[in-house]
Amino acid sequence: MPLTSEIIEIVLLSLFVSGTATVLAGLAGVPLGTFLALGRFRGRGLAMRLTYTLMGLPPVLAGVVVFLILSASGPLGRLHLLFTPAAMVIAQTLLVLPIVTGLTSVTVAGKDREIRETALALGATPRQAATKVLVEARLGITGALAAGLGRAIGEVGAVMLVGGNIAGFTRVMTTAIVLETRKGDYTLGLWLGLILLVVAFLVNSVFAGLQGAGETR
Amino acid sequence: MRAATRNPGDVLEAAAAPAMALACVGLRKEYAGRAALDLDRLDVPGRETLAVVGPSGAGKSTLLRLIALLERPDSGELRFGLSAAGPISAEAAGGSTATGAPVDPWGNGWGEAGRVTLRRQMGFVTQKTVMFTGTVAENVAYGLGLRGVPADEVRRRVGEALETVGLEHAAGWPARFLSGGEAQRVALARALIGRPSIILLDEATANLDPANVGIIERIITGQRQRGTTIIMVTHNLGQARRLADRVLFLWEGRTEYLGPAVGFFSGSGVPRARAFVAGELVY
Repeated sequence: MPLTSEIIEIVLLSLFVSGTATVLAGLAGVPLGTFLALGRFRGRGLAMRLTYTLMGLPPVLAGVVVFLILSASGPLGRLHLLFTPAAMVIAQTLLVLPIVTGLTSVTVAGKDREIRETALALGATPRQAATKVLVEARLGITGALAAGLGRAIGEVGAVMLVGGNIAGFTRVMTTAIVLETRKGDYTLGLWLGLILLVVAFLVNSVFAGLQGAGETR
Repeated sequence: MRAATRNPGDVLEAAAAPAMALACVGLRKEYAGRAALDLDRLDVPGRETLAVVGPSGAGKSTLLRLIALLERPDSGELRFGLSAAGPISAEAAGGSTATGAPVDPWGNGWGEAGRVTLRRQMGFVTQKTVMFTGTVAENVAYGLGLRGVPADEVRRRVGEALETVGLEHAAGWPARFLSGGEAQRVALARALIGRPSIILLDEATANLDPANVGIIERIITGQRQRGTTIIMVTHNLGQARRLADRVLFLWEGRTEYLGPAVGFFSGSGVPRARAFVAGELVY
């Protein structure tokens, strides 16, 4: 494997797939987690337990489910998404969504009573109070997104199954590490692993910077 | 620590108080099957300062939370008559009927909009001060922002409110890094900036040093002189003696004594109240 352009391509695809999955999971998971934390509805306890259970969803299982849905005989087979980056995004979104939802609900619930009641006592409507809770919980929500991205960028089972590890098309860092290791090129596998960690560190530094900016206010 | 530099009455103008600020009738609240509060009747006239005292778990904070409309009573009624122009009608506060009579915010025809209107006429300060992220000025301005007050007026009133509590120099400080006393004064400014008709204080000076207690008591006194109705929960009997017109002594959620502060502290109350004042009540 050429150590320049191909690796850069792999790194960029990894960031694209995992970043897109995290954004999509954030768009759905933050409101969902907020609803779980603040909502008072029947079945809320069950929904929370289900979310926490899915936070540990094995990537391979998510990959199999998405594979079956997107395969030619599956319900969405006509979309021809299997073995494309889009399929990898879908699989990783499934993995990240419960993490963002669960951690958001925990962080919002932790802020809920005291922030919500303070806001209400100062004249907020319930909607304004819920918005305030969300604003005050933004550091925790940033952490939830960081944890979700970490989960996405480091998993291999799902992207391998639905992406197929096709060179120049669906090969990401984790699948490349598996491939090089299987070929016996442990050195390259380790180098790729190191690059993966550096990329994850840089991304988390951005999140930490965002959290730090909020913390000092 | 700076002392308050202005009389609160100079800047935080309250509405003229009505004859009856609020009444609690048969108010009852249970937690886990245990009655935290079971109040027969409590009438609080406008302009009164009422101290609510009693041992821990007597229902003092529950009473304040119910009055602040943060919780719904299991039974009984709250009737408000806060407005300067007379009792708030259900229609004005978002309810479906306009009776002109004092309103029960949990009664039929009342929605959350009506309760929000009532909450905006009260100021609530608790022992555990919650500061939002942002500056001191942003914290104080929060309530005005909710009410859609123009930015120029918000700036002016924030400045006045901070001057009132002696923290005009702290407007740009991050609110979450204030000392306990400073945070409590900011919380007071934040509650008062909406010009409430009723101020609810739940152990607002607990755990503060004497200097900060003194500053806050001066602010409360200023509000009292302006005719704002004040209901304060306190474990500080000296403070209750200094500030209150009447005392409500709660015991296991029920009224044990309700009458003039002078009578409560002079020992003319019921035996349990006398024992409480003397520090001899075992609970």
